[in-house]
Amino acid sequence: MAFLEIKNLCARVENKEILKDFSLTINEGEVHAIMGPNGSGKSTLSNVIAGHPAYEITAGSITFKGKDLLAMRADERANSGVFLAFQYPTELPGVGTALFFKTAINAKRKFLGLPDLDAVQFMKRLKMRATALGITDEMLKRPVNVGFSGGEKKKMETFQMAFLEPDFCILDEMDSGLDIDALKVVSNGVNIMREPHRSFLLITHYQRLLDYIVPDFIHIMVNGKIVESGDKTLALHLEEKGYENYK
Amino acid sequence: MKIINNISLMGYDGVLTEGHLSDEMTQIVVPENSSFSGNILHVSGDIHLKVILDGENSNFDIRIIYLSNKNSKNSIKVEVLHKHKNTTSSYIIRGILADSSEMVLDGIIRIPKDSQKCDGYLNHRAVLLSDNAKVKATPELEIYADDVKCSHGSAVGALDENLLFYLMSRGIDAEEGKRLLLKSFLSDSLADSFEMYIDEWMDKNV
Repeated sequence: MAFLEIKNLCARVENKEILKDFSLTINEGEVHAIMGPNGSGKSTLSNVIAGHPAYEITAGSITFKGKDLLAMRADERANSGVFLAFQYPTELPGVGTALFFKTAINAKRKFLGLPDLDAVQFMKRLKMRATALGITDEMLKRPVNVGFSGGEKKKMETFQMAFLEPDFCILDEMDSGLDIDALKVVSNGVNIMREPHRSFLLITHYQRLLDYIVPDFIHIMVNGKIVESGDKTLALHLEEKGYENYK
Repeated sequence: MKIINNISLMGYDGVLTEGHLSDEMTQIVVPENSSFSGNILHVSGDIHLKVILDGENSNFDIRIIYLSNKNSKNSIKVEVLHKHKNTTSSYIIRGILADSSEMVLDGIIRIPKDSQKCDGYLNHRAVLLSDNAKVKATPELEIYADDVKCSHGSAVGALDENLLFYLMSRGIDAEEGKRLLLKSFLSDSLADSFEMYIDEWMDKNV
């Protein structure tokens, strides 16, 4: 049984077809990267997998660990182990970061039939992972993402991922807006999470990210579907020749 | 500068109960070199609040939260008169409307000709939790002085689907997600003393 299987998926938003007969299989422990020009449907794909309600699925299926993902709400998908690190994380004034994390972890625990974490267990878990990603106490005291730089927001997304321990992580344009130091921190945060039971889908425009997080497979996506797949060397060809050949 | 008063009025504890102020006006007069600051939580009825900045260097700021549900029809009218120069005013108004409730909001900042160097601010935002809820907001400025700073604005809409998706993508269900977003929405106008009441209201209406 494949870990994640997307079959002949078609999706549209506001009556515009974005994904056209898209198929992709990801096995346990694999890291896949999808590269493609702007407007090829990469971000739509991540939103559709995570369950954004604005996208209409017109054909095809997604199964995750044998379950019909498309039949689940976004929160059920998350609690089943899907995580999307956003390209543009949301700011939530007035909602403390710690409260946000606590609400999220306890929602997952409730879904799994586990009791809420108590305050001590929660703080221990939070602090342990915060240190590894350079998340300061001061950042945890602020409202979610408010006043954070682009790099800090991406660190916070990676931190959420590390904290929630999902099985399948989608990273949408994780490298956009990051300087080289922040890119290293974020990539390291991802790399230490690579485990045999956890898979990743990296969505990126540039090859740069893939120097730091080396994928097992690379797919080129153009106009709503995958047009070529290969190993990590595909990114190097792409860097040389661009997307022109695929249009 | 002295603080002359600080009110916390709530719509349910007899201070601003239903209909109580419908025909009357609550007038607050702020004398020179004084500040007035207050929070109001409004849940039903019609209120009319007029503030007069009655001396130089007088200021006030009032934060109003209103919560409407069922088929209630309520109104809020707020006014400020900058009677003297160097005075500042601020009305921050945040509303949440459920079911088929309706709110009529009128706000007016008046600055006469000789009241130079005044600063007036009126900002209203409301979230509609249902397609049948309605807000009619009319913020106005009546300014005759030529050297003042004044702004007003009003925005009404449903909860942002993208914000809710962000929360749900972290495993938080729609109901809890909406509550967090509404708390975030109210955060710049919330007095601690209202929190428990607002939580109870959300339990019933979100």
